[in-house]
Amino acid sequence: MIQLLAEILPQAALLAADSSDGDGGELALLLAGPASGIAFYWFVYRHYRNIDKSHDFERKTAIGAKPVQGWEQKIDTIKGTRERNTKGRNESTHRTRVKRVE
Amino acid sequence: MPPQEPPVIDMANRNLRDGVNRCPRCGSTEIRLRPETGMLTCSFCRAEWSEARVEEQFGLGAGHGELQGTQVASGAANLCYDTSTALTLKCGGCGAEVVVDVAHAMTARCHWCRHVLSINSQVPNGAVPDAVLPFAMTHAQAVAKIREFASKRRLFADSTFKREFVPENVLGVYMPYMVVDARACSEVHGRGEITTRRYTRGSGKNQQTYYDADVYQVSRQVSFTVDDLTMESSAQRAHIDTKVNTNNIINAILPFDTKNAVQWNAGYLTGFTSEKRDMDVSCLQPVLEDQLMSIGRSQVQPSVSRYDRGVRWDAEKLDVHGTRWVSMYLPVWLYSYYHVERGRAMIHYIAVNARTGETMGSIPVAKGKLFFASFSLGTVVTAITVAILLAMLL
Repeated sequence: MIQLLAEILPQAALLAADSSDGDGGELALLLAGPASGIAFYWFVYRHYRNIDKSHDFERKTAIGAKPVQGWEQKIDTIKGTRERNTKGRNESTHRTRVKRVE
Repeated sequence: MPPQEPPVIDMANRNLRDGVNRCPRCGSTEIRLRPETGMLTCSFCRAEWSEARVEEQFGLGAGHGELQGTQVASGAANLCYDTSTALTLKCGGCGAEVVVDVAHAMTARCHWCRHVLSINSQVPNGAVPDAVLPFAMTHAQAVAKIREFASKRRLFADSTFKREFVPENVLGVYMPYMVVDARACSEVHGRGEITTRRYTRGSGKNQQTYYDADVYQVSRQVSFTVDDLTMESSAQRAHIDTKVNTNNIINAILPFDTKNAVQWNAGYLTGFTSEKRDMDVSCLQPVLEDQLMSIGRSQVQPSVSRYDRGVRWDAEKLDVHGTRWVSMYLPVWLYSYYHVERGRAMIHYIAVNARTGETMGSIPVAKGKLFFASFSLGTVVTAITVAILLAMLL
């Protein structure tokens, strides 16, 4: 329980801080309470039910890969965006399928 | 022109035939697996022996780089749904005829002379795989693992579950899987962005962060081989949906040390239950391709680390050059708990990989109790933050 709380509280604070980027620390502090309650519920539920667990075949299967080949070309420039990340970034969500081409 | 049948690797155990399956030393048919050693043992003379490992016997550990087309082992061949599930065996001990219902058991005892009769031929109903990975954990070890897993999740567990929890009821089950070797090439295309400048505008509460970035068209390609990718070959187990079942728990205890799988012998099943395979290679092909694409995406990820704002893959391509399919029974200690919540029933599993000891489970949650604890925590944190805010204002 204490271990869980130690894991949750910093994340809840981060969640609250994220929601108020530049809008002042007061709102972040006010949101920390509800955020920690929701985070606690979710963490405990996940710890008991393990609904996010599955075979990690990408890492736990013996794979013999040749060196990755590739190319890239600059096609555009973005100026003054407030977005921290590329819209729809998915380089780490390996199981989310995109359009398959033949 | 009819479609060409894929080449078949004959993996049937030629040393055994249906009927009396005798101990090589004393001739008794009282044969069972001894999990402590992973060997078959004779209940009379205590002789111990093992079937050959299929990895060496059939060269499954080599040739991944040269795989071409689809190769299917004899135990993974298409199922015949019209095959009768009742086989009549002539007892080698007394000559009596004994019927074995292979839909439910692979052994039967002769009611006249008490010999154990075994099905060892690969009947095309999914009940006899190419290989079996014997249990290596005992019932007592599995009970300890399950008890340890559940004891870490007592506080918010459903009260009925806690009251009815009897880990000694765990069952040893051989689950059907397809173990696949593959050679493939994966290609992905998309766009990636690199930050060129980060700056702020405004001041005080109106301060905002802005970014400039270069945008790139990015493509990657990787060729790879996969050794012993393991997939559920029972449609019921392969259906993973955490809203209606907990099959993901059984999936999560993979992988197994499939390199140690041995040739089929019905003796390995004595004392355990088993589930039949009911999916053919053609049913599993889309699952395999999906997993190979995920592996391809995982392999190229380190090569795009310079795109600090991330990469969005828009298209992917997969060429499967060759595959080799082997059907296997893999050992699982399975604890099941039938739970009904607001009229919705669900079976919660706690599963133990009977080779590695990896344990995973789903414990029904006392949601009211958890909600109350979460609400209390939120209230306490809110009280603290309000106190801090008041102290800052005064």
